[in-house]
Amino acid sequence: MATEPATEFALEGPAAFEEEAKRAKVAGLGPWRLALRRLRRNKSALAFGALFLLIVAICLAAPYWADHIAHTDPFKNHLTDRVEVGGETKDVVSPDGAPIGPTWHGRFFLGADTNGRDIAVRLLYGGRTSLEIGIGAALITALLSVIFGVMAGYFRGIADTVISRSLDLIWSFPVVLLGVALGTALALGGLKIGPIEIQGDSKLIPTLIIAVVYIPYMARPIRGQVLGLREKEFVEAARAQGAGPVRIMFTEILPNLSSTIVVFLPLMIANAILLEAALSFLGAGVRPPNPSWGTMIGDGVEKIITAPHLAIVPGLVLVLTVLALNVFGDGVRDALDPRAKLHLEH
Amino acid sequence: MLKLGLRGALFALGVLAMAVAAACGGGSDNGGGGGGGKSGGSIRIGSVLPDEYDPVMFQTVQANQPLQLVYKGLVTYKDAEGTEGNQVIPGLATEIPTPTNGGKTYKFTLRKGLKYSDGSPVKASDFENTIKRLLYLGGPFSSFATTIKGATDYQDTKKQNGDISGIAADDAKGTITVELEAPDSQFLYALGLANEAPTPAAKSPFKKSNNIPGAGPYKISIQNPSRQFTLTKNTSFKVPGINPGKVDKITVVKESVPKMTQDVIDGKLDFMTEDPTDQLAEVKAKYKDRFRQDANPPNTYWFFMNHTTPPFDKPEVRQAVNYALDSKALQRVFNGRLEPTCNFLPALYEGMGYKKIDPCPWGDPNGKPDINKAKQLVEKSGDKGMKVTVWANNKDPRPAIADYYRDMLNQIGFKASTKIIDQQVYFGTIGTKKTKAQTGFTDWFQDFPHPNDFFEPNVSKAALASSPVFNFEYAPSPAGVDATLAKLKPKKPQDVSDQWAALDKKLIDSGDIAVYGSELSTSFFSERMDFDNCSGVHPVYKNDWALFCLK
Repeated sequence: MATEPATEFALEGPAAFEEEAKRAKVAGLGPWRLALRRLRRNKSALAFGALFLLIVAICLAAPYWADHIAHTDPFKNHLTDRVEVGGETKDVVSPDGAPIGPTWHGRFFLGADTNGRDIAVRLLYGGRTSLEIGIGAALITALLSVIFGVMAGYFRGIADTVISRSLDLIWSFPVVLLGVALGTALALGGLKIGPIEIQGDSKLIPTLIIAVVYIPYMARPIRGQVLGLREKEFVEAARAQGAGPVRIMFTEILPNLSSTIVVFLPLMIANAILLEAALSFLGAGVRPPNPSWGTMIGDGVEKIITAPHLAIVPGLVLVLTVLALNVFGDGVRDALDPRAKLHLEH
Repeated sequence: MLKLGLRGALFALGVLAMAVAAACGGGSDNGGGGGGGKSGGSIRIGSVLPDEYDPVMFQTVQANQPLQLVYKGLVTYKDAEGTEGNQVIPGLATEIPTPTNGGKTYKFTLRKGLKYSDGSPVKASDFENTIKRLLYLGGPFSSFATTIKGATDYQDTKKQNGDISGIAADDAKGTITVELEAPDSQFLYALGLANEAPTPAAKSPFKKSNNIPGAGPYKISIQNPSRQFTLTKNTSFKVPGINPGKVDKITVVKESVPKMTQDVIDGKLDFMTEDPTDQLAEVKAKYKDRFRQDANPPNTYWFFMNHTTPPFDKPEVRQAVNYALDSKALQRVFNGRLEPTCNFLPALYEGMGYKKIDPCPWGDPNGKPDINKAKQLVEKSGDKGMKVTVWANNKDPRPAIADYYRDMLNQIGFKASTKIIDQQVYFGTIGTKKTKAQTGFTDWFQDFPHPNDFFEPNVSKAALASSPVFNFEYAPSPAGVDATLAKLKPKKPQDVSDQWAALDKKLIDSGDIAVYGSELSTSFFSERMDFDNCSGVHPVYKNDWALFCLK
């Protein structure tokens, strides 16, 4: 019995023998180790995964760069300051309002914005914000999607109808439109649910908005999978042994969903980062003066002709991060289940 | 057949030469100012277009510029640059009346033979109809007409055919008598705006309309309200003192600011109503022979401080903000388009209230701020470390202004953050008392050139009764300002200029608001335009298109 799909390799000659030998070795490995071996063979996925980790590491080093190299913080204005570049003293922002371009030195390494704030410092802190929101939103989405998807798929009937129609309602709105509407509405008064109160300018607001708008995109495939799993023999066996619904969900269903969740996570993070940038660009995400890649692009777009670096630098980093997560996410998906066709559809 | 001798032929040639010179020269401007420059030709203007085309409904500069050429009032403003353009001159009325009845009654007489652009005669009763439309439709400038006796009653009854007791019109004699509730020297200045210009009652429905004929030097034809409109010379409009306009046709098209800037550079457009913000440095450097910056229309920018909310309820904190203000830093935020000042009244009010405050009580606006003094005052107030929210709207460069202010407040000892909201709801939000907006961005661009137009809406106690409030200090500033306004308002501002200047100084000395400058607007023309003679910078219209001409 083949342990791999027959279509994955079609090798002949000595190479085929070597491959057979390798297959013989993997026959006794568990699914996670098997997936790891497949992932290690996917060099491009690993390279982009490493790139993502590098971006995360650089962003985590933001305070070090700000304190010890740039000697400023992401919020400090330097409108009338002057900086020495190559033996020449220059205005950080000229009297005509033109900000200094990249100096390639510690201070204003990537130049300044219109308020004389150090772009490199804001880029790093902005990256932290974007990653925090992206990862936070993806985790919340995953948690809520699993809860709703498993409940709808396992209980069916009224529970399924209520949950599925609610998800359809969210799905019926384009994500950006719904995000902008919620972001604008919550920006002023914040969010108050019982004793929990979140200020309008808190980063939790965009995190929650992004998490909510993406729930249907993950919950529906999970529900579909649970509908199939609940009819499997091992679930019937558990039920025959007297296990209740909660126990079955935790011990039988959830472990079988883990690969799906792991496949979804990097893709969800990438999408959440992208949506955060879109919302912040449109003024409905991260509130100024907090930096995020989206707000930085939004600020820079006003000066795209005279100071293109203001928009290009955060735009480039955003593209690299999302690309890295997507390629890595595809690699994880191929490694965990090469036959799976899981992807996020908007 | 008539035979000409040599002398006769030379004489005829001479006459012909003079006639040609007259036709090609300056043309007739009926004494309305405007200097030299040739007449005729067509120009194209880039704009974000008027907010409304209905004369009683518009409020933006982009609307005022074309509509003031189409709808002239009983009085109007002189077509001239600088402070001269602040002068109210007779428009459709024969002269500026001297008020009687203790300064409350004005009697106007219409010029004879006046016609609207559709050919119908201008009637005295049309004026009353215009004021009724203005009040009924609630145009943005309708509050200025409520000084007319019976206007508020008319507004309250909400009946189109109701009566305004303070207006009496006699179509046969062409006279209009207006009685005010109380003497108000602003009345004539508001009357000079296109919002109060007579339009034919038969063609001015009590709903918004883009097809209302007017009496003015140009006629408007709207091809697509959100894309393009055209102004063409109204040759039948000849009123002494009012410039008939030089170019024959003005086509106004909607474009984005970067595109209109490039099109003016390339000569595809001849003028742009907007400031080339992003390309300002390039335009200033490369095209200085056809670019200028002026503080027109007169305006003032300041940070409001809510006196009813901590920490700005303490005078020390308000003074600290004034000491810490760095107008030169803010000038950079404005791309250099800020004239640092500490006066509340703009410099174009010279002779009608402006007198440069020198020295400024909180330091030279062109010098360095006194951060240490500000820190000491904050320390003394006992509110050091308090959380402060700086409010601003999202129109460029307001968020950057707010960020400068946030950073400055942090420097002097507060924990400040910004709240940026959409410009459409900004003033309504901070003008609601329950918002309790602590401090933030505000500005004021004149409605008409009168010092009271700056003081009453922004700092008086009376302004606190309006909704939304524009006095964001939520207190009269300086104390007792309303009594001074009541004394000065009935008098011509030119007659009490020193007293307006004293009030200006008292406000600035109080430190109740933190003024940092006047915004400079730009005028950028194509190479075809006669920049030296016809750039037409005007204190009321920003640019008076009647003064535009080609080389």
